[in-house]
Amino acid sequence: MSVASAGVLKERPRRFRSVLGALPRAFRAVINLSPLGRTNVGAVALHVVAEGVRMKIALVFLGLLAMIVLALPFSIKGDGSLTGAVQSYLSFSLSFTGFFLGVLTIFLSRSISDELVHRQSFLLFSKPLARWQYLVGKWTGMTIFNFVFLTFSFLCIYGMMHVIIRTKPPVEDSYTSGLTPTSKVDLERLAERKALIGDGTEPTQSADRLRLFTDVLTARHSTMFKVPDFTAVAEEEFEQRLREGFYDAATEPVDRAKEIERLKGKHEARWRIIPVFGQRVFEFENILCDRSPGHFIQLRYRAELYDYPPDEIFRSMWVVGDTGKGATQYVMLPRHIVGRFHTIKVPADCVAPDGTLTVLFSNVNPYADPTWFETPEPVFYNTLEITRDGVKCLFTVGSFEGNLLRLFVLMLCKLMFLAAVGVLMTSVFSYPVACLAAFVLYALAGLRSFMNESLEQFDKYDEPVTATMSAFFNAISSGDGAKASESFQTLAAELISGGLRLIFKVVPDFSYFDGVETLVNGENVSLVWVLQGVGELVVLQTACILGLSILLFYRREVSETSF
Amino acid sequence: MVTTVEKSVPVVQLAGVCKTFRDFWRRPRVPAVVDLTLEVHPGEVFGLLGPNGSGKSTTIKMLLGLLYPSKGRIAIFGRAPSDVAIKNRIGFLPEESYLYRFLDARETLDYFGRLFRLPPLVRRKRTDMLLEMVGLKHEARRPIGEYSKGMARRIGLAQALINDPEFLILDEPTSGLDPLGTRQIKDLIRELGRHGKTILLSSHMLADVEDVCDRVTILYGGRQRAAGHLAELLSVRDKTQIITDQLSRQTIESIRDLVLRLEHKDVLDVSSPRTSLEEFFISIVEDARRANVATSGAAGAGALAEFLGGGKAGGAGDVIRQLESAADAAIDSAVVAPTPVRAPDEGPSRQVLEQLSRPRSEPTPASREPSSDVPAKTAAPVEADADVLRQLMSERTSPKRGSSS
Repeated sequence: MSVASAGVLKERPRRFRSVLGALPRAFRAVINLSPLGRTNVGAVALHVVAEGVRMKIALVFLGLLAMIVLALPFSIKGDGSLTGAVQSYLSFSLSFTGFFLGVLTIFLSRSISDELVHRQSFLLFSKPLARWQYLVGKWTGMTIFNFVFLTFSFLCIYGMMHVIIRTKPPVEDSYTSGLTPTSKVDLERLAERKALIGDGTEPTQSADRLRLFTDVLTARHSTMFKVPDFTAVAEEEFEQRLREGFYDAATEPVDRAKEIERLKGKHEARWRIIPVFGQRVFEFENILCDRSPGHFIQLRYRAELYDYPPDEIFRSMWVVGDTGKGATQYVMLPRHIVGRFHTIKVPADCVAPDGTLTVLFSNVNPYADPTWFETPEPVFYNTLEITRDGVKCLFTVGSFEGNLLRLFVLMLCKLMFLAAVGVLMTSVFSYPVACLAAFVLYALAGLRSFMNESLEQFDKYDEPVTATMSAFFNAISSGDGAKASESFQTLAAELISGGLRLIFKVVPDFSYFDGVETLVNGENVSLVWVLQGVGELVVLQTACILGLSILLFYRREVSETSF
Repeated sequence: MVTTVEKSVPVVQLAGVCKTFRDFWRRPRVPAVVDLTLEVHPGEVFGLLGPNGSGKSTTIKMLLGLLYPSKGRIAIFGRAPSDVAIKNRIGFLPEESYLYRFLDARETLDYFGRLFRLPPLVRRKRTDMLLEMVGLKHEARRPIGEYSKGMARRIGLAQALINDPEFLILDEPTSGLDPLGTRQIKDLIRELGRHGKTILLSSHMLADVEDVCDRVTILYGGRQRAAGHLAELLSVRDKTQIITDQLSRQTIESIRDLVLRLEHKDVLDVSSPRTSLEEFFISIVEDARRANVATSGAAGAGALAEFLGGGKAGGAGDVIRQLESAADAAIDSAVVAPTPVRAPDEGPSRQVLEQLSRPRSEPTPASREPSSDVPAKTAAPVEADADVLRQLMSERTSPKRGSSS
């Protein structure tokens, strides 16, 4: 190989590096203009960014992320509809973005342990750089890195979502529209009620496309219905059972409060089951929507049928609005595919002026009534169950873009917390151990709600540990091996559950702050929720973890113990 | 950067300092430094000597607050090493460069400059000057991971000087450097010393220390074994060495007779000094540079950066240039005849003998400000009086450097 060609070959990676180097230079220019640029924290932060964009693993992750975000629109199908495709794209791309940046944050934090192992710390701490400045600078750098790449990802996702909307044809599916064909309704029969079939407007675009904008690309506040209070019923039943000696045969004494709670649950579950021709009234409160003409609320529901009809279409009747409270009443006759969430759009004046909404649901098939429809549809009746989140009232409170922005903040809060965890771990442990510990914490945070449910099995061990210990020692001293063994098992279970509960107290619940599903469902990622995320994840937990890191790192000898 | 030093306060004070490394269970494992007491005064070039594992680097790490002493007291500029503010006045070159492989030289210096909160313009200017000084301006945009060890070492030195430190700690500064680089570092140390910097030099390269240090401490097994001025420690009081221009055999015989007659002692050795391999090597490299032979390594070092006090008459640049011309002379003379490198300007050999016969002067510490062309060490007193004629020739304990007299 000639010298000249060797030179050309060598130039290519240099050009590549210079392109990569342009990014930190751009960061530097921005940070230089800010007050942060004149501090040591800023200097360290900039360095983290410079390192981050040159880390091979970071490039691999960012490449994968770019591939997913940019390539997914051309391959995603969802449920076949335009709405489904957009929802699937948003769900996948946003979840992957959060996951990849989370993992990348943990990898980025290894720079602390790397600097200790490779002794760059000798140079750093021979400069006027306080230990807290170093750690806070690292955290700030990771946060800036995440901020930039999260911004970039969100912009790409938003742009590619519009590519899907423009390129993918909507699917015509009258069953998914939630609108009942007006031609088939005997309006005279419903004349006594001011019935409105459909949303009262002529759709100018396909139902699929319309659904995308009303169900996904919006920000709707959702309210759950008020579950009736079954306490009195449960107490009455308990007393009756007591009188009838129902509990006499019980092997253990019955706890009154627990039993009443159980009976309440039973009545609530029973209430959720709606038999054929049965009705339920759902009461909603605090629906603070604009009731003026042209505004709508949505009822989002999903019915689980005990047996599916042959055509998998569920027909029902909804009477929305209580005239007695000053609201306008509407009758809705939706036909929807079973097992999915569907939305019924109702004019907003169905909400009473006091913000309450009354909805009567009837498990009847009006389409089978020949007096209503000239060509009645096949009769199929079945018992159904409305799950806890089965019926929601939604009303628009903002835009999709605002929702996306708030989700961005929520995701950034999680990444800030993770960055703090990475700082803590890598300032205490060396790289592999630190990364492993940070990953475990990340996984725990993601699975916390699931783990909480798992821990509920330990609820039966509610005796104080001291009492169990004394029982254990008493059993040993009295020579009762069986009781000692039982006490020991109880003690172990109490200690394990206590330890796990303690851990979960300091580990945030990432699933609680996961706003992706909310956004995808077109529900409002509320500002209160975001502020709660900022307060819990950043102000409280991140600050505590960073404080702990500084405390532990303050007296650490940064030089290795060899000489 | 303020370069005035507080004369009253020693720059470094160690009093009974011990450092014992412990194992995972906190059990004492290795005593790295034992009861070390020393002081480094402002403007001094102080050498910390010792073989590998003698505790030099541990001492330096304790000075910088990277390690904490198990016992004893350490003060730098009268304050604890953990005081972040004093680090503004310190420059540190570790035993290996420990730089970031993914940064280029300019980014590296910029980063460390930021940590001293230097304004952007000052940072840029100093970066340019330091890159020029260490001869890496043309490679400033190459990632340091691609640098040779010597080039990385030069950047390491540049980062140690970015804040124009009052106190410079150099741990094995010539490690990994070629002879030319070694020479340049030594020249730089001398020049910085001339500009009032206090320098702590740790090394086991004895020749390096000998060339530049005023005072040394020798450590072994973590304990201080010897300490003092180099001139005192190294002077061989029962021998006399006289170096002059080439003498004829007849004159040598006359001197031998004279010594025998007056002192009743024999002349032990008469020889022509050789130029050193270092000088020879430097001259070859300089010739190549003059011929513009391409290299991806460091270029010839530039003058001492202006902010460090360079750019003035008698600065490091002058020193380097003079040394380089001396090297040229050395190679010339090495090829033609084994004569001293430096052109003699003290007059004929008789005159030298007359000078040597002047009254004895008290030994003085090595001057921190030697003349620009004579290294500090050469100011070490040679006990010379009328009796010296009786000890005209000393044994070969004298340095062989051509520039020494």
